[in-house]
Amino acid sequence: MVSPRLASRTWSIEGMVDVVTARRCGLKTALSLGFSTPEATKIAVVISELGRNILLYAERGLITVSPHSDTLPYIEIIAQDHGPGIEDVERVLAGGYTTSGGLGKGVSGSRRLMDEFEIETAVGEGTKIRAVKRLYRRR
Amino acid sequence: MFMDDDFTDDAMSGVASTIQKLEDLLLVTVPRDLMDDQVLSLRREVVKHIRLYNSLWVLLDFSQVDICDSYFGRFIQSMANMVRLTGARVIISGLQDAVIETMVELGMTLPDVRAVLDLDEALAMSRTNGKVDADTSETELAELSFLDSSTFDFFEV
Repeated sequence: MVSPRLASRTWSIEGMVDVVTARRCGLKTALSLGFSTPEATKIAVVISELGRNILLYAERGLITVSPHSDTLPYIEIIAQDHGPGIEDVERVLAGGYTTSGGLGKGVSGSRRLMDEFEIETAVGEGTKIRAVKRLYRRR
Repeated sequence: MFMDDDFTDDAMSGVASTIQKLEDLLLVTVPRDLMDDQVLSLRREVVKHIRLYNSLWVLLDFSQVDICDSYFGRFIQSMANMVRLTGARVIISGLQDAVIETMVELGMTLPDVRAVLDLDEALAMSRTNGKVDADTSETELAELSFLDSSTFDFFEV
């Protein structure tokens, strides 16, 4: 029997309310999976950053949060949109670079908060970001 | 960026109740999930109340906030900049441990923003430093009294 909180969920991101809903649910899911409050907060913040980026650049998109309660539990966040894509991924990942007047810390900061962080993007087609945080760090 | 000029009373009502006067302090309890339109109205309300009460200090209480992303960090910074332009000083308090840890890892710093542990400490600080120092640039900025709350809409969220 899988607890409903530990089921994979997808949110359609079309407004700030959706981002808030997704990050709140993500926080609860992370806590249910056994993450400490600071670690669960980081997961919620990453959902928030990715959600805001969807709104800012693509206007709409999807965020999926999947908890995996295997022997080595982890949470996977997938954010995807059909927006303009990212032209210079390396520069975005390095931080301090923005085309929207923001701090340029959203993506680079999110990568630091997670254990795995991958960007698939094509200019004019969209962006898919996959981020993973593990309950136990690999030794 | 959401920039709505004709903000309604509805957008304000939930925010206005979070501003209280305490001696020379203006106590602002920042709501947990602040929407972009609420950010704008909260900033306007804070500036309006600084004028109303002649507050020398503004205490931003973040004890309700459990998720602080980089946009929210920008909000704190812009709020601090705005308050400084009114001649008052900003103190922040109540940042939760998890929020602090996340902010630091995200790479957010809040230069020129003073943080205290709780309301008691903020009150003690405002009592011992009642008057804003004459040698700071803040007093010079305070003389720019032509600035009204609408001027602050130019600050980015």
